[in-house]
Amino acid sequence: MKFIVSSSYLLKQLQVLGGIINSNNTLPILDNFLFDLDNKSLTVSASDLETTISSQLEVESSENGKVCIPARLLLDTLKTFPEQPLTFTIEDNNTVEISSNHGKYALAYADGEEFPTSVELKDPSSTKIQGDILATAISKTIFASGNDDLRPVMSGVFFQFSTESLTFVATDAHKLVKYTREDVQASQVAEFIMPKKPLNLLKSILAGSEDQVTIEYNESNAKFTFDNTEMICRLIDGKYPNYEAVIPKENPNKLSIDRNQFLNSVRRVSIFSNKTTHQIRLKIAGAELNISAEDIDYSNKAEERLTCDYQGDDMQIGFNSRFLTEMLNNLTSDEVSLEMSLPNRAGILTPVDGLDDGENVTMLVMPVMLNN
Amino acid sequence: MDAAILIRKIIHVDMDAFYASVAQLDNPELQGKAIAVGGSEIRGVVSAASYEARKFGVRSAMSGAMAKRLCPHLIFVKTDFARYKEVSSAIRKIFYEYTDLVEPLSLDEAYLDVTENKKGNPSASLIATEIRLKIKERTGLNASAGISINKFVAKVASDINKPNGQKTIPPEEVIEFLEKLDVKKFYGVGKVTKEKMYRLGVFTGMDLKSKTEEFLTEHFGKSGGYYYNIVRGIQKGSVKPSRIQKSLAAERTFNENIASEIYMLERLEEIAKEVERRLLKSKIAGKTITLKIKYSDFTLQTRSKTLDMYVSAAALIMEIVKELLFQSSMKDSVRLLGISLSNLNNEKKKAAKPEKSIDVQLKLEF
Repeated sequence: MKFIVSSSYLLKQLQVLGGIINSNNTLPILDNFLFDLDNKSLTVSASDLETTISSQLEVESSENGKVCIPARLLLDTLKTFPEQPLTFTIEDNNTVEISSNHGKYALAYADGEEFPTSVELKDPSSTKIQGDILATAISKTIFASGNDDLRPVMSGVFFQFSTESLTFVATDAHKLVKYTREDVQASQVAEFIMPKKPLNLLKSILAGSEDQVTIEYNESNAKFTFDNTEMICRLIDGKYPNYEAVIPKENPNKLSIDRNQFLNSVRRVSIFSNKTTHQIRLKIAGAELNISAEDIDYSNKAEERLTCDYQGDDMQIGFNSRFLTEMLNNLTSDEVSLEMSLPNRAGILTPVDGLDDGENVTMLVMPVMLNN
Repeated sequence: MDAAILIRKIIHVDMDAFYASVAQLDNPELQGKAIAVGGSEIRGVVSAASYEARKFGVRSAMSGAMAKRLCPHLIFVKTDFARYKEVSSAIRKIFYEYTDLVEPLSLDEAYLDVTENKKGNPSASLIATEIRLKIKERTGLNASAGISINKFVAKVASDINKPNGQKTIPPEEVIEFLEKLDVKKFYGVGKVTKEKMYRLGVFTGMDLKSKTEEFLTEHFGKSGGYYYNIVRGIQKGSVKPSRIQKSLAAERTFNENIASEIYMLERLEEIAKEVERRLLKSKIAGKTITLKIKYSDFTLQTRSKTLDMYVSAAALIMEIVKELLFQSSMKDSVRLLGISLSNLNNEKKKAAKPEKSIDVQLKLEF
């Protein structure tokens, strides 16, 4: 088997695929890319058993064949080449020979049949969504997902599709983000939990892409198809917590404020907060928001005052500044609204402006109980 | 060493059928009748019964219907806490004539430490007699008293010659007294502990005394050590006179229900002034102001607000009360209005070193 391919074209595809390869695999075969050649079409795949991603490339060839080529070695080599055609030749002595303008390189390859085959989706449902919309949905939510091994369902992002809208939810029980697109619909109701790793990969591949992504899914797997790429991944098994129940319906104390100003103040003040709790205190009275933090152990203390638009009772509430920073950072609006009820109930952070039609973001953050 | 331990003289004063007696005192036609305070023949529970009613087996915490069955001619009387408090404070005044070491347990019960007393009277028994006499003179009510070397024995003793009697357990008799005492009478021994003790063959103080401290600790945990000591007449707890006041309130029940906020404001002004007077008298101020509203259907509503600073002036209190009053409209006409201040500035100042913060990150409840 033999094919000729552009070096930078191949590198670009392999770098995307390489993101799925674990650095220390228990199965050595997973350290390889699978090259599956069918005349002018070369399919390259990478897998970590949970997720398999493959891309189709056009190459110069008239042969067929299937081999596994060591990923690290190949990527390291490809990175060094300026753009040029490369010739891959599978020799009989179990080596692949790559010929460039500069010389020849031989890599040991494994039999293509050893590579784990990716699952076929049985009776999948499917939905189409524009690439950048999916990328946005992922980046808006994924940061809020948890890392708790005891609650694996919360380590992923919940996809909730209906005939009216698509909803994406992530939470670690301290914070929660619900991102809804009413401008995209599914043909039928479906719910599944996507693990973080393939989502991070999708996020980076799809950012800014106007390609349509086809999402196919059944009980146990989901498949994302776009452009020349296809990704199949195993879903997180289990029931997602009833997140709707924890979103407060009545939050009478409403604060509106410039997002950047708020974010900068929180960042600055939080430098003075306790290094383990990262706790800051918001005191709101009239049109004044007072943000303060104190690290008693080191006698560090900071306080800032901001003017804001506030309707509600005077109140004092504590938050972990890291949560607030992450959330405010993730939003892009000029102004945000923070709705609260009591110092021990969740605050709801929403953008006031800058949303597309049919786009909705709701962020929940649980406070820290202050002991006065 | 033993000689250095001063034997204390503790009096436990307990009013006889306090609520019922106050009711009988205020309504002479009830004298000598079987009455129950609180509850009614249909609903509620009896909070106190007169001795006449107790003969029929009527007890406090019994349902009104049950009490009526036991004693068909039982008369039910409404509770009147304002009046009980008034009588109670008159009684406390008497206590303070003898000692400042007064630990009130409730409106009708208190411990007094008269080891050193203002009258210089060396006999606790005589002081108890005097106190009971003064209570009778000034309030017309009967009290019983127990006198001994610690709170526990004094409390048990006050029950012995009840009603209208007193009992002294002198230091030399304490041990014997405790040995004969049924374990269920020991302070801290309730139904469950009693059964456990009975199962272990502990029926009297004597039995309890025969057990080692290790044995008691093994079976009753921390309380074991306490039982071990108490049966030997050792009780560490002293009479604690200063229970910190948590709140201060004044309220008025109106002869006729009020429907208009304008009239309510007038009344609230008076109440606020009364609160101010009491605050100044105790030299305290509070942060949290609570408005209490009792509607004509007896439903109770409270509205409160906590300020950043301590207030005691009537004008300031009224400002907040007004806010609370107009916060939402009245559900009904009003029969009682009250103002209370809590979060008082009488708490002992915390130690100079601030406590380690124990702030808790809250979680969403899935």
